[in-house]
Amino acid sequence: MTENSTKITKKNQLSRRLLSGVLFVLVAALLLSSLLGYVVRGMGSTQTILDTMRTDAVLSTATSGLIDSIAASRRLAYSQELRKSKDFRKMGTDAYIAACDQAEAEARAEATALYSDTTGVDTAALEAAIPGIQGIQNRYNAMKEAENQIYAALYEEVTGSVGDWTDFLEANPGDDALWSALCAQAEALSSNEHLRPGMLRLVKALTEEEIAADHAQEVQQLWASASGAVEDWTAYAEADDDALWDIILQAVPNLAEHERAEDYKEDLLACAKLAISGEAAEAEAETEIAVAEAVVDYSYIVYSDELQALENEVNSAFTSLWDVLVAGIPTLDELKSKDAEALREKLLAVITASEGNFAQQYSKYASCGADKNLTGLTRLKMVAAADAENLLLLGIGMLLLTVLFTFWKPITGKMGVSRSIILLFFICLMLAAQFYKINMSMLVGNILERVSMYGVLVLAMMPGIQCGISLNMGMTIGCVSGLFALVTSLNYNITGWAGLIFSIVGGIIVAIPLGWGYAILLNRMKGSEMTISTYVGYSFVSLMCMVWMGIPYTNPRVVNLLIGRGLRVTHSLLGNYAYILDELGSFTIWGVKVPTGGIVFFLICCGLMWLFSRSKLGISMSAAGSNPRFAEASGINVDHMRILGTVLSTVLAAVGIVVYSQAFGYAQLYTAPRQLGFIAASAILIGGASVKKAKISHVIIGVILFEGVLSMGQQVANEAVSGGGLSEVMRIMISNGIILYALTQSGGEQK
Amino acid sequence: MIGSKKITDFLKKYIVTILFLVLSLTFILLGDLDMTSVARDLMKRLSRNAFIVLSLIIPIVAGMGINFAITIGAMAAQIGLLLAINWNLTGPVGILVAAAITLPLGALFGYLVGVMLNKMKGQETIGSMILGYFANGAYQLLFLYIFGNFIPLNSKVTIIGATGVKNTLDLTTNGLAQAIDSILRIPFLNCVYIFAGAGIVYALVMFLLKKITQKKAIVTAACSAVLAAIFLLPPVANCFNGKNSEAITVPGVTWILILLLCGFNVLIMKTRLGQKFRAVGQSQTVANASGINVNRVRLIAIMISTVLAGWGQLLFIQSDGMGTLTTYSAHEQVGLYAGAAILVGGASIDRATNSQALLGTLLFHLMFLTVQKAASALFGDAVIGEYFRAFLSYAVIAVALVMYAWKGNAKRKKKQKDLRTA
Repeated sequence: MTENSTKITKKNQLSRRLLSGVLFVLVAALLLSSLLGYVVRGMGSTQTILDTMRTDAVLSTATSGLIDSIAASRRLAYSQELRKSKDFRKMGTDAYIAACDQAEAEARAEATALYSDTTGVDTAALEAAIPGIQGIQNRYNAMKEAENQIYAALYEEVTGSVGDWTDFLEANPGDDALWSALCAQAEALSSNEHLRPGMLRLVKALTEEEIAADHAQEVQQLWASASGAVEDWTAYAEADDDALWDIILQAVPNLAEHERAEDYKEDLLACAKLAISGEAAEAEAETEIAVAEAVVDYSYIVYSDELQALENEVNSAFTSLWDVLVAGIPTLDELKSKDAEALREKLLAVITASEGNFAQQYSKYASCGADKNLTGLTRLKMVAAADAENLLLLGIGMLLLTVLFTFWKPITGKMGVSRSIILLFFICLMLAAQFYKINMSMLVGNILERVSMYGVLVLAMMPGIQCGISLNMGMTIGCVSGLFALVTSLNYNITGWAGLIFSIVGGIIVAIPLGWGYAILLNRMKGSEMTISTYVGYSFVSLMCMVWMGIPYTNPRVVNLLIGRGLRVTHSLLGNYAYILDELGSFTIWGVKVPTGGIVFFLICCGLMWLFSRSKLGISMSAAGSNPRFAEASGINVDHMRILGTVLSTVLAAVGIVVYSQAFGYAQLYTAPRQLGFIAASAILIGGASVKKAKISHVIIGVILFEGVLSMGQQVANEAVSGGGLSEVMRIMISNGIILYALTQSGGEQK
Repeated sequence: MIGSKKITDFLKKYIVTILFLVLSLTFILLGDLDMTSVARDLMKRLSRNAFIVLSLIIPIVAGMGINFAITIGAMAAQIGLLLAINWNLTGPVGILVAAAITLPLGALFGYLVGVMLNKMKGQETIGSMILGYFANGAYQLLFLYIFGNFIPLNSKVTIIGATGVKNTLDLTTNGLAQAIDSILRIPFLNCVYIFAGAGIVYALVMFLLKKITQKKAIVTAACSAVLAAIFLLPPVANCFNGKNSEAITVPGVTWILILLLCGFNVLIMKTRLGQKFRAVGQSQTVANASGINVNRVRLIAIMISTVLAGWGQLLFIQSDGMGTLTTYSAHEQVGLYAGAAILVGGASIDRATNSQALLGTLLFHLMFLTVQKAASALFGDAVIGEYFRAFLSYAVIAVALVMYAWKGNAKRKKKQKDLRTA
């Protein structure tokens, strides 16, 4: 035994040393290249290359804009032609899009062959023109930004200050009176005389909007009383407008006497027609109260004369640049004005990028395709120079980590290889997120959200491990019970907290007998629980698929409307209890949104489990799990303890899925819960549990590490690789890899 | 008394098989199905799946349970097939090249799987399943990001405008679809007659050589003759020669390959390696004591199984009705369905034969075919049949595992009891 354990320790040591070695080499490489980057950045030749790149970027932006425009117009022409042709009706949407894509690709290839040659452009003139524009443009941008800010502040002040614009307009007849009234509302207006015409227009627009809104509200109220008075609108399908109008007049008391009844006639008739065609109910159901966000409408701004003058300057400078370009690429002159405008914006963006630091400039130019001309060593040099800061950051981070990993005893001693690797991965991802400039507070908020989402589910794994049934892959039984209660609450329209509590309690009530039966089954076959529980869980989920199909719920909220019976796959909980737990006491700190309720709920569950594991019963259960023979000898009924643990695990899974669904905002039925057992198992294993031993700390660490890696991995992968899917691949590999590792650790002992 | 015990034992052993038979018959009656179309689809599915199911036998005999990691063999085959398509190979040559690539790849993957499974003895079933899931991640990584980016591919097989392999690869235009199946198509009835004739000739020859008794020879010959006679009856014959529709044919070469594999499975058990498989399967401790390198034997078993499963997957894909390869999902359910099929035939976690595999495949797919139609007849909806068959596949495996565990626990208890009394 001791020989064996020393062997394992030696093996561990060897692998750790190997890992440290690799890490050190990596760190050295990173630091060295960063240093190189800093040195290269200072050299004059690098600046020259950067300047050349800028010119190249301008050129390639111009050509690609030209090519884009040609391709797009060709696509448009082709699609119109296609729509007119006879075949159009026969071809499906996919075929139509594919044909258009084809035409566009052909046009693009043709245009690329024709216009990508830029040798005709006078690069020297171009290079000379750029710095001039850059200076003016930057001044222009800064000034515009400042004016926009002033305008935005005033806009909010003006729009927020008046309750009823119609009255306001009547009280201040004439433009001058209106202007002085506005100035009285917002003092800063008087010093910005140039805003006057825009503000006056704004007031008129607001008034019109208000009148329209009043009218709509009036119609809505009238219609509400009309539709309430008539049972079945579909009975009037044959009636013409006048007949309908009579019905409405009868249905709504006093409408006939109303002075503006004629104004409402058209709209009310439209409503009635909608009701007749049966669409009103759906339209009503789909109407969600949109929370109007205060958006500053810049279309009413009028800029100051200085800015206008500056703009003219920019224009004239740009025209000279444009002339240089057109001289080299004559086709540019034929661009449509809209495309030319867009191209101008792009070119200006490229030119102004030279304000930024080295890295920003480089990445901007490279994204325009200017790095095509760089080859071999030059390219490497530029990349190193551009990324010097990032490399340095990465290098220092890795260095710290490597030192910790190699020398700090608590880590090296306590943490298994797998957990260290995951931790390493976690930190690498964090650095990568920094590298890709992903918003850190959003990232952390995301992780917190996922922790509150998955926490209880992962906790459900713990009692199973403790009582000796190893990883309870059959916890899906509990999940399905929870989902059953949840769907029931939806069917009976139990909303808000009542719904959530109903789902949790109902889930627990369903889960107890199911977990009980399942536990008895597992007691009959000690030693191979994990395999069996996986398949029992799978078959139960498939069995429930049939139940979902056949369940006699009739609420249109839950029924699959396409078939007309059976539950649908995804149920939105919006309007029921979506996010209700997460929103409870939720606050934002440093831009991180903390789902307080969810986190606190998870922690309470953990605390209760911790208290339980400290109780006599809990200790007996752990004893039965870790050493059944000894437990039996000391008078503990092992079978009962295993049942207790399994039922607990199932119940927690039921609670967990309800919490998960409310945090997700949707509940998913059918095959969706099948893999949840695997996710929970890998999370707790990453936290440091084994298939025989688990603690609360393993649950908490595990859920943070696992969800952290997944959520960061997802965002980093999205940034790094075009086209999603990589994060899913990563999830599959991490999740299953960690379970495999745990299996190899446990399997070696039993032969 | 003894008779009833025998019957209960038989029932216990074949309960799942009988259940499936009863279920299928019920579905046929309920769904009011056209027998000719059922028979045709069944023949297609049987010839498509039999090879994969047969590849499960060796690991079972070697005591490693159901090797759900055959999905990895299937992945190896799909890599081979992708390369064959990429190199513009067509027809049987393409399949042959793919099979040639599958051999080393499958052996390598099988080796890795074996190494892992040796580290988790006693948990092979779940271990191989999770290995399959893990490998699926690696497979997606390979097909989505490594192919196309690091390993250049023909633009025909990559997604337009992105890297990675297309979701579906066409097998029809390059003649890979049905490449093996279409070489030799024999009408089903002719097959029956040939089979019956062979039975009679076999009985005669064996009797003349005095290898078997007169009684046995007569019984064999009579059975063959009756079989042939049944299929000569007009109602039965009409069902198969397709009076109303196209006749049912047997893909000859595929079946020759399947029979070859059956022969291989029988013959290898007679070699020394086969003896070792059995010894390890009986008891690893005893095998180890008698000087067998247990781990190595288990490795070989898994390697053979993985390669065979890969070839089986090639047969499956080329015969698949759609004429396409669904790159990212064709392999996913291979292990589940094959494992369930062999268990339906009466195999258990530690015992399996060729006939069980073939019978299991037949019944499993008969159920598959009939349940959907019955479901649409009963519930007006085929989806529920889909769920039902998924449920049955998982449940069959769960039941087999439960029974195996029960048997093991009963044995252990008996042993303990014996020890105590002694």
